Amino acid sequence: MIRIGVDVGGTFTDVTALDSATGRFHVVKLPSTGDDQSIAVTEGIRLVLADADATPEQVDYLGHGTTVATNALLERKGATTALLVTAGVADVLEIARQRRPHLYDLFADKPPVLVPRDRTVPVAERIGASGEVVRELTDAEVDRVIETVRRTGAAAVAICLLHSYRSAGHEQRVEEALRERLPEVFVSRSSRVAPEFREYERFSTAVINSFVGPVVSRYVRRLSERVAATGLPVGPRVIQSNGGLASPEAVAERPVTVLLSGPSAGVVGAGYLAGLAGHRDLITFDMGGTSTDVCLVRGGRPRSASERGLGGYPIRVPSVDVHTIGAGGGSIASVDGAGGLRVGPESAGARPGPAAYGHGGTQPTTTDANVVRGRQNPVSALGGAMPIDRVAAERAVGTVAEGLGCAPLEAARSIGRLANSHMARAVRRVSVEAGEDPRDYVLMAYGGAGPLHAAEVAEEVGMTRLLVPPNPGTLCALGLLVSDVRSEFSRAFLRPAEAAVLPALNETIAGVVAEARAWLDREARIATRHTVTVAADARYPRQNFELRIALPSDELDEAALAAAIADFHAQHEKSYGFAHADAAVQLVNIRAVAHGEVAKPDLPRLPQGGAAPDPAALRETREADFGADHGTVPTPVFDRAKLLAGNTIAGPAIVEQLDSTTVVPPGWTATVDEFGNLLIEVIR
Amino acid sequence: MTTDRTVDQVTVQVIGNAMLSVAEEMGAVLRRASYSTNIKERADCSTALFDARGRLVAQAEHIPIHMGSMKGLVTELLDTVGADGLRDGDVYITNDPYTGGGTHLPDITMAAPVFLAGRLVGFSANIAHHSDVGGHVPGSNSGDSTSIFQEGLRIPAVRFMVGGTVNEEVVAFVTLNSRLPEERRGDLLAQLAAVHTGGRRFADLHDKYGSETVVAASEQLLEYARKRLELAVGAIPDGVYTAADWLDADEPGQEPIRVRAAVTVRGAELSVSFDGTGRQANVAINVVRSALEATVYYALKAALDPDIPANGGFFDAVAIDAPEGSIVNPRSPAPVAARTDACQRIADVLLAALAKAVPDRVPAGSHSSITYVTFAGTDADFFVYPEVIAGGAGARPDRDGLDAVQVHVTNSSNLPIEALELEYPLRVETYELITDSGGAGEYRGGLGVRRDIRVLADHATFSAHADRQTFPPQGLAGGRDGSTGRFVLRPGTDTEQVLPGGRVSGIALRAGDVLRIESPGSGGYGDPHARPAESVAADVRQGRVSAESARDDYGRSDA
Repeated sequence: MIRIGVDVGGTFTDVTALDSATGRFHVVKLPSTGDDQSIAVTEGIRLVLADADATPEQVDYLGHGTTVATNALLERKGATTALLVTAGVADVLEIARQRRPHLYDLFADKPPVLVPRDRTVPVAERIGASGEVVRELTDAEVDRVIETVRRTGAAAVAICLLHSYRSAGHEQRVEEALRERLPEVFVSRSSRVAPEFREYERFSTAVINSFVGPVVSRYVRRLSERVAATGLPVGPRVIQSNGGLASPEAVAERPVTVLLSGPSAGVVGAGYLAGLAGHRDLITFDMGGTSTDVCLVRGGRPRSASERGLGGYPIRVPSVDVHTIGAGGGSIASVDGAGGLRVGPESAGARPGPAAYGHGGTQPTTTDANVVRGRQNPVSALGGAMPIDRVAAERAVGTVAEGLGCAPLEAARSIGRLANSHMARAVRRVSVEAGEDPRDYVLMAYGGAGPLHAAEVAEEVGMTRLLVPPNPGTLCALGLLVSDVRSEFSRAFLRPAEAAVLPALNETIAGVVAEARAWLDREARIATRHTVTVAADARYPRQNFELRIALPSDELDEAALAAAIADFHAQHEKSYGFAHADAAVQLVNIRAVAHGEVAKPDLPRLPQGGAAPDPAALRETREADFGADHGTVPTPVFDRAKLLAGNTIAGPAIVEQLDSTTVVPPGWTATVDEFGNLLIEVIR
Repeated sequence: MTTDRTVDQVTVQVIGNAMLSVAEEMGAVLRRASYSTNIKERADCSTALFDARGRLVAQAEHIPIHMGSMKGLVTELLDTVGADGLRDGDVYITNDPYTGGGTHLPDITMAAPVFLAGRLVGFSANIAHHSDVGGHVPGSNSGDSTSIFQEGLRIPAVRFMVGGTVNEEVVAFVTLNSRLPEERRGDLLAQLAAVHTGGRRFADLHDKYGSETVVAASEQLLEYARKRLELAVGAIPDGVYTAADWLDADEPGQEPIRVRAAVTVRGAELSVSFDGTGRQANVAINVVRSALEATVYYALKAALDPDIPANGGFFDAVAIDAPEGSIVNPRSPAPVAARTDACQRIADVLLAALAKAVPDRVPAGSHSSITYVTFAGTDADFFVYPEVIAGGAGARPDRDGLDAVQVHVTNSSNLPIEALELEYPLRVETYELITDSGGAGEYRGGLGVRRDIRVLADHATFSAHADRQTFPPQGLAGGRDGSTGRFVLRPGTDTEQVLPGGRVSGIALRAGDVLRIESPGSGGYGDPHARPAESVAADVRQGRVSAESARDDYGRSDA
């Protein structure tokens, strides 16, 4: 059988197929098709099947990562959306959390609201904090509201009423009337999209869901049709921000769940591969052309966040907690008037790209610095398919050398050191914010440029182990092959954890669990094992943040509740160094996590070799630079494709492959493991 | 390296990044370990590293008012204890605005000297806003105190830890003076954990790069910031640029207080004089030196170069002169708790002065009021609900001002309506932008905010300190002024009453009463008649500008 993963990026669509019969990967890269991503997707499927010499009927799994929703939001090319909101507080989205976007830049702007005031429709109704009706929603008001929506010509509507997380009746009535009378309009209601308290974040999530809804619905419908037309017996499954898969139908209904999915497939793939090799505590380091994504994985599980932002808008949806900084291979270097060097966040992007790529770029980038130093192949890239213009790179880096008043080589080193220093700060940040010491972690480097920089970033942070996967440039596509089906359902509860609330608590749990099971039944037919786990977001009263504690998924009795409370105190102690053992605990949200485990493919193993690589693996020896301490030295360059398990390479060395280059500096040693990962360690 | 005293520029920046990482880690430790929401969630704290001579080299920024405000304690230690008297394992605290460099009593600063092989290499420090340090009101942050002795416990620079052991006598002294002793203890220990983390990492850094290198790099970081400032200042024509504005009367019947600033530019040098600024206030809006400095640094960064590193090189290059006995240099024991009210006006005045020097880089006047309101009362329990309401930010030379944001020295969030209604017997009936509150102009000022709160408890009281209820935010370059703020009791009823000013306390409210809060808008920029018709029409359609204002202020009767 064949598994296929298709990851669509801004420039390229990556397709990876794993043939379980041969244990071989087949990889295809083709230009993305901007207007309709599904064209490149299906074309890629066709090409990869041809490469694997397989037929469509053999495919039993198709994982897909898409940027359709993300682009629609970032480029603000979503649907014309109307907002229905409790009368009196119609400006919740305008006022937001009343913070300005930048402390010192007086010219920074807030992101524009997605629904302007003239498409905002106040609804005469009011629910109170305990769910009681303060102002009745009349039928006449519902009629009026729908008429108003009709007049705005909106293609999508978000229904956002106060306290609907506690009492959704009013929102539901408006929704039903809308669906009945304006069936062509895309409708989201906040009590369904993100049923948690704090109106700005809930409303923002619902509005974004509607804004991108029609675009995403159209896309997944077309995608499903095209995939069916290729003869595949299975439909696509789409990766979400939480790293789990969902059906096209589920995504069409809650597109907000895929907005931050971009880097999540890579983290899932990294966690899986590293786990197979026995590494469970990782910091993922995905360095691409314009940015670097960093994420902490502890005990095999990526850290998750219940809320993240995109383009300045908060999105209240569980996501893999990736920290992104604007430093990548295309980051532009310059010298300011006071003699300070800058690297990024401005980027040369894919076009014109680094000067070395010969597409007309003239500004010096991190990539150009690597070419000048001989770390990146100064003759060609992509296995010879793309010529590298070393002279152009030197010319570009020369401008920085002039600004700094130093030799070009020194300037190239400086660019590398400063870029590494920015990335080291990001690595420190994701670890110290989790209360972890990065030195206890393995740095997992991928993305086209990650393995080029990882060792020096690790050195800066004091980390001593790196792991570079077999195909660093297509790890996201691998992640799509090993993702599980996953979703989360929550209800606001906001009551004290005490015996008196047990009946209400059990009812709420039963409700979310039923919702989760129904979803699994619908969604997880490809999964072998279904589980539903229950958790609560809990806090001490008046705290403004919550900790997640596990609850049993069946009925709670007093003893089980007491255990959960004890667990909360213990976790608080562990996370924050103190607990109020006598204080009351409030249960804010009840969550059910639906998990459908998908059988993992058996990944190919490398044949065992000796400690020394086959002489044929040595491609060349070229001058490469390792900084002021080690200088520019003749460096053996190995062909990754010819390395075998057990091979050991002492730094200085370079390992080249189609989609990436790995640098092993002096003082480090690389060992190839049975899965083809390079484990690179400091020599003690 | 040319000499052993110079480090190459990139090493300087790499070490600068590493020091920033240390400050950020200190901030993460402080927030994680603290007890109170104010520090944990609102991040009302800052962390920093100083060199052995007491100059700030790296600060993790959260709030502009904290810029440089830990320096006072470090300077005090070097002056009074002396570098020779400092011991490894000693940690100091202070909160005093008059002797310890604080800006008001709730902000407690903690600093520890850092040693490597017995030699002083610098200081690790942090500052955190404590939710109560005693005084005549809960929260220790009232606007109506008349002396600092009413505002809470004054802590001189004393040792919180002596030779590696927590000084329990000091802890007992501080906690006994707080309404929330357990929380104080927890927050102070969190500050201690942070100071230790910072110290350890700072020492590691010296170890890793070599002390000589770190010292030289620090020196060059300061030099770099100074150079950034000089470059920006050097681009401004020489001259003396002045501006003035008023604070509302501090007490009913009193004369309002004038704030005047003169910014002098000579070549690459810049100095600021507050000569002509009015008397110190009888209420708690006085601005001590460290708060004044933070405000000046804020305005310079904002108008000249937002990327100037906030370090001692920048700070030391700015000369500030403030007349004694004025609101910008009060005599002890003048009250200071609500100093940000005046800081906001000072920032407005400095920006207005700089607008004459760099007209394309400075917006019109902003709401610049800390509209701080509290509702207190008894429901099932005693409750106090504090909130700071945002307003309009001034129109800019090339675009409109921002609606409903915090400006200048603060940037705090609101409390969600749903969170406040869950917690307090109050209901928010209106939360909206105020039509026509942004000053007319080619670029319109940002809008202020209206918030109506209905009391559901039997009895409650309303207290507030707010400004710009008399003097509006100023327009610039022909733009009109923005609207003033106000408080209205029972709006739209027969018993409607506009409160006499922004500084009120103990206004009695009964069940069903509505209190309306309106924050100021902001000034417009440029001639309103130059605003394109389609922009005016869009504003009318969006309800930001009324049809009447379109006609009267913009000359657009067709809008």
